[in-house]
Amino acid sequence: MAEFTAEVYQNEFLPEGGTDVNAIVTMTCSGAGSAGQTGSGDAGEIIIVDTSGSMGRTKLEAAKVAASAAVDQILDGTWFAVVAGTHQAYLAFPLVRAGRGMVLMDSSARQAAHQAISQFRSDGGTAMGTWLTLAGRLFDSVPGLVQRHAILLTDGENHNETPEQLTNAIMGVTGKFQCDCRGVGVDWQVAEVRRIAQALLGSVDIIPEPDQMSQVFAELMQQSMSRGVADAQLRVWAPQGAQVLFVRQVSPTVEDLTSRRVEVNPLTGGYPTGSWGDESRDYHVSVRLAAKAIGQEQLAGRVQLAVADQVVAQGLVKAKWSDDEGLTTRINPEVAHYTGQTELAQAIQDGLAAKAAGDEETATKKLGRAVQLAAETGNEEATTRLRKVVDIDDSETGTVRLKRAVEKADEMALDTASTKTTRIRG
Amino acid sequence: MTDHMTQSAVPVPPVAIRQPDGSLTCPHCGADVAAEEAFCEACGGRLAPTAAGEAEVPDDMAAPIDITRSIQTEPENEDTVVIARPCANCGGVIGADGYCESCGTKAPTERDHYTEYPASWVAACCDRGIRHPRNEDATAVAADPTPGGRAVLVVCDGVSTSIDSDVASLAAARAARDVLVANRPEGLGTPASRVAATSNAIAKAAASGNAAVIDNTAVGSENAASCTFAAAVVEGDLVVFGNVGDSRVYWIPDHGAGEPKELSVDDSVAQARIAMGIPREEAEHGPQAHAITKWLGRDSPDFSPLTGSLTLGSPGWVLVCSDGLWNYASEAAAIQSLVAELNPPDLNPLTLAVALVDWAKGQGGKDNISVALARV
Repeated sequence: MAEFTAEVYQNEFLPEGGTDVNAIVTMTCSGAGSAGQTGSGDAGEIIIVDTSGSMGRTKLEAAKVAASAAVDQILDGTWFAVVAGTHQAYLAFPLVRAGRGMVLMDSSARQAAHQAISQFRSDGGTAMGTWLTLAGRLFDSVPGLVQRHAILLTDGENHNETPEQLTNAIMGVTGKFQCDCRGVGVDWQVAEVRRIAQALLGSVDIIPEPDQMSQVFAELMQQSMSRGVADAQLRVWAPQGAQVLFVRQVSPTVEDLTSRRVEVNPLTGGYPTGSWGDESRDYHVSVRLAAKAIGQEQLAGRVQLAVADQVVAQGLVKAKWSDDEGLTTRINPEVAHYTGQTELAQAIQDGLAAKAAGDEETATKKLGRAVQLAAETGNEEATTRLRKVVDIDDSETGTVRLKRAVEKADEMALDTASTKTTRIRG
Repeated sequence: MTDHMTQSAVPVPPVAIRQPDGSLTCPHCGADVAAEEAFCEACGGRLAPTAAGEAEVPDDMAAPIDITRSIQTEPENEDTVVIARPCANCGGVIGADGYCESCGTKAPTERDHYTEYPASWVAACCDRGIRHPRNEDATAVAADPTPGGRAVLVVCDGVSTSIDSDVASLAAARAARDVLVANRPEGLGTPASRVAATSNAIAKAAASGNAAVIDNTAVGSENAASCTFAAAVVEGDLVVFGNVGDSRVYWIPDHGAGEPKELSVDDSVAQARIAMGIPREEAEHGPQAHAITKWLGRDSPDFSPLTGSLTLGSPGWVLVCSDGLWNYASEAAAIQSLVAELNPPDLNPLTLAVALVDWAKGQGGKDNISVALARV
């Protein structure tokens, strides 16, 4: 039985007239169990592989190995399917034309899936929207699936669809399943694939070399299978008259959830968080209150996690007005850390976008700021990635020069990893 | 706020040494001592009492009915979050977490605000005020049912710079009250002997309050809990009073019925300045004016109360209060005017106590406020 805890990190003291309360709330899940095995309902997995012409022989052969490795990680009793994607989407496995488009995993299904994957041929264009739409229909064809997850592999740009078509396809499946996206090589667009991953509560990353695919796929599937809590909703209650300025996931990655609010009740907003394994996630909640008199205390927020409409953990965010400057000027280290990490993610993305657009001045400034923030917040991984794109003269002041020769894969890795944050506690 | 003036300079007295046979010995001279003793009988060395005074409060079964049953106190229900009551701010529902489900206002705990009303002529109100995060004041009162009988009024004001003062002050006030309830002089005696006996009881009550504070101080606490003590015992036309620190006892006769008086004498820097001839207004607003020179608690150098008595002789109010009230009306005449202005209907003590607390909150409520009243 999964158990959840909530911890709140904040400075609850506000000065006279103070209105804005910031808090980091850590939600921790333990005892999650395995996907589809906890009695709360079945799990479904779909593996979506780009089989467009650009994949060529090397990448396609590697993709076959990777898809098979992922199939091997799917637990028996899990519903699954394999989709081959070009400018159209094909159901590669199971071999059906109507009815349920997914089958329960067992040893014979696993073997048959391997067989189907080995038949992949590289041909045609790329239309990821159609792949997503088919995956959505396949999940819908199985009643009672409570946990739905897909892995999407691509190697190129979405040539055969307009951005609007892709947007519509994403909107059509948002909330239907989660999707971890991986791009192999350097010919795909990070921003395009990130759009899919963010909407579908998944991750995005680069697989620079085809021979790395198999391990990545196996790990992604293992991780998904270890998420025994099918779905959880973050809930933020704020008092009457208060304004929720933003709600962000800040660890393990930065995701702004503010615009994903659905109303639970007039004072409570719900935000999707997808499935959970044994893990911790940190959320940054910012609430604006009407100022109260010195000495007054009130609740600024109830930050909850709900599973199947039951609140399973709650953290209280408080506000206490004080005339003690020693209390009110104290900066909470967690809030400061994640505020810096959020700005770091934005600075990296803005800097790389400016660089791609040929605006070297903005790129230098933004990436310089990113170097500074990475140093300040102790994000060594980000610093290492930034070093591959800029020469650092002084990390304290953020003085950098753009490297003249940059490996495209390094730049893409910096981009995909920009939202990854570090923790300041163990 | 009540601050210690010399807290850090006062050494904490050592605790008696427990011998293998369970007996206690003085750490100074080795003589046998009792757990509740603050001084060694043999050498006079200071001790930190480790237990309350024994059996000063007779148990219900053993006590004569006419002593214990005639005195009523409110049921004890401190420290519980009230969740049945609607939100004081917006009328919303209070959640299980103790905050309003609509506006988020923290529901006051019983400790933040409570009243006592043991008899139609005696009441008390104790409140967090506006600016302090918690209520470290405490009141404890008891009274015979019939006006003109005996009433016990106790106020303790926790020192906010020390740890757990809210718990300690309430324990002290209740312990002191219980001692005063139990130590009811029997037989008529002379007025002088009644005063002497009651003064003695007030000193015992202070000692018991002191022991209660120490009992509620964590052994390793670096900032020992401490509080003031002010008590008045009304018996018919006589009031006997005593205090440690700067909580006060006033006699407030009805307007035109006599001269109002501040009966207690603060143990404070301000009072020391007044004694030196500095005008009251100036003395009470000077630096460290609120620093007290005596208090109850583990690090108290002296908790013996200064006691006194007065024959009242006219209708009015005996008032025991903390500085949360008198900060805004220090002169007895100012309180008399205030009481006349508030003019409680039917001379109801609870109405007046609540009105005085609300008035102090209206003045800014910078400190916790305690008001205990007996109508004479």
